[in-house]
Amino acid sequence: MKIFSGSSNKPLAKKVAEVLNLDLSPIEIFVFPDGERRIQIQERVVDEDCIVVQTTATPVDQNYMELFFIVDGLKRSGAKSVTVVIPYLGYQRQDHIFRDGEAVSLDVIVHALESTGADKVIVFDLHSIKIPEVFKIPVTQLSALPIFAEKIREWGDGFLVSPDMGGLRRIKELSALLDGMDWIATVKDRDLNTGHIVINKIEGDVSKIKKRAFIVDDMIASGKTIVEAAKLLCEKGVEEIFVFATHAVFTKEAPKLLENSLVDKVFVTDSVFVPEEKQFYKLLILSVAEMVAGEIGQ
Amino acid sequence: MPSNGEFVILTGRSNPKLAHSIGKILDVAVDEPISIFSDGEIRVRIKPNLRRRMVFIIQPTSTPVNDHIMELLFMIDAAKRASSSEVVAVIPYYGYGRQDRKELSRVPISSSVIATALVNAGADRILTLDIHSEQQEGFIPKPWDNIYGSYSILPEMQKRQLTNIVVAAPDKGGMLRATGYARILGCDSLALVYKKRDIMLNNVSNTLAMIGNVKDKNVVLIDDMIDTAGTIVNAANYIHTKGAKSIRVVATHGIFSGDAIQKINNSAIEEMIITDTIMQRQEVLNSPKIKVVSVAPLLAEAIRRIKTGESLSKDLIL
Repeated sequence: MKIFSGSSNKPLAKKVAEVLNLDLSPIEIFVFPDGERRIQIQERVVDEDCIVVQTTATPVDQNYMELFFIVDGLKRSGAKSVTVVIPYLGYQRQDHIFRDGEAVSLDVIVHALESTGADKVIVFDLHSIKIPEVFKIPVTQLSALPIFAEKIREWGDGFLVSPDMGGLRRIKELSALLDGMDWIATVKDRDLNTGHIVINKIEGDVSKIKKRAFIVDDMIASGKTIVEAAKLLCEKGVEEIFVFATHAVFTKEAPKLLENSLVDKVFVTDSVFVPEEKQFYKLLILSVAEMVAGEIGQ
Repeated sequence: MPSNGEFVILTGRSNPKLAHSIGKILDVAVDEPISIFSDGEIRVRIKPNLRRRMVFIIQPTSTPVNDHIMELLFMIDAAKRASSSEVVAVIPYYGYGRQDRKELSRVPISSSVIATALVNAGADRILTLDIHSEQQEGFIPKPWDNIYGSYSILPEMQKRQLTNIVVAAPDKGGMLRATGYARILGCDSLALVYKKRDIMLNNVSNTLAMIGNVKDKNVVLIDDMIDTAGTIVNAANYIHTKGAKSIRVVATHGIFSGDAIQKINNSAIEEMIITDTIMQRQEVLNSPKIKVVSVAPLLAEAIRRIKTGESLSKDLIL
């Protein structure tokens, strides 16, 4: 087995390789002045099972193109199989047409990836569980929930919060991992045109609200959802708020917004590489390397 | 799907100026459906009705190459889903065209990956202008037309009423292109500038040599694209030392990476003619040596002929 990394999340790829007692295999990704990438695989891969680790967070287009070229290069160089690990799947939210004249960007990505010859895909905590159906090749969905559950157990008491109704399946799953911990959901409304988020309602048994809340989501992008949910919870008497989100997609404003919010700590995973400029005091990063290694090691 | 006879032009963010020029000539509105989500992902929203209409998507895949390719792919997908009768990808400058074969071991054929992705997204036909190598058309089993910028550049060159012309290639790869221009420019002879290390093992220097005589001649160097301008400037300066009367450069695509413009301004090149396949930045437009010729009339005519089914090669390919 050989593990290659694209340029989007080398630290995670390195960790995965370490867990499996391997070194990352050498690959050159030369960037021309006009942005074109030239890939060259620098090790023999004939008859090898190759893994490519490339998360497709921002800059998403660059990262996808790089991934397509790496897979094409590996296949043309005789690799027996190519498994792509895409911890955060960019364009996953555009999985259907919302309004006339739109593209189904996810479809375009999946077809492009499959035609370069990828044999298998490993992803984390997808936005919608229907996404694997778009693929013709096998998709393994891993989840950071067990890692979050382990961390939540350290505190013991509290209740779970899904910051929108779309996360109910996730919150129920996490509750089951925590021996049926109580949970509620806050109701999020997003204006499709302005993007403005409003959270002012609680769905579920209000008596379940305790002093310590664990907000759990699949990703944090702008951070506005979390901040609004935290405000509502504090109004209802919550004193300690911890946030758990798998993917730190983090827009430019998100770190500051979260740092200045009513939230006490924010836990994310390293599915998306968080550069130093985006790290803030309340942020803690948990690694999914062991999970990925466990899956590909089989 | 049968067409209702109308057509629509879409363009991404790569060269809306060229697209609008083409739209003006054809008297067709040009829609710009691309915008960006707050997380940086591309967003497509085609506004005009595309049902049973032929759609031409004009998008050179110039820098930033990867973003512009993805914009094009998503526009193609959206056009197909909006029930267009046929989707034509008009790619005046085809990014990754230089990665058209396995030049080294263990590399992808990036151009083929792009072409396949275009077809999978729903492109029915591709139209390019001076693609780096025409064999790439074979990557996909779809109609692929490639036309030439010489059609647009020739009238501009003829204004200079040059005689005693020698057409030159700046490197060994440019000979085919040079002979193509030689015929239509009406020149005396050809010249080829090559690197000595191209013909000698163990030579790693940048020393140049030349086949052909340029003394007292008006030299016209031909290339398909100018990227860092290293090759063209070195060739021009070398030709200057061989006693040429004047040195001009003709190229279709002006990529002009890094300090290319500075290099050109400080070189023996008297004048460089390029086209607007790639949208040019102010530095290029300000350069006293660079003249930009528009390929809008050429592309507009090609689009019109694709729509009506007339021959593309008659009079358009010189």
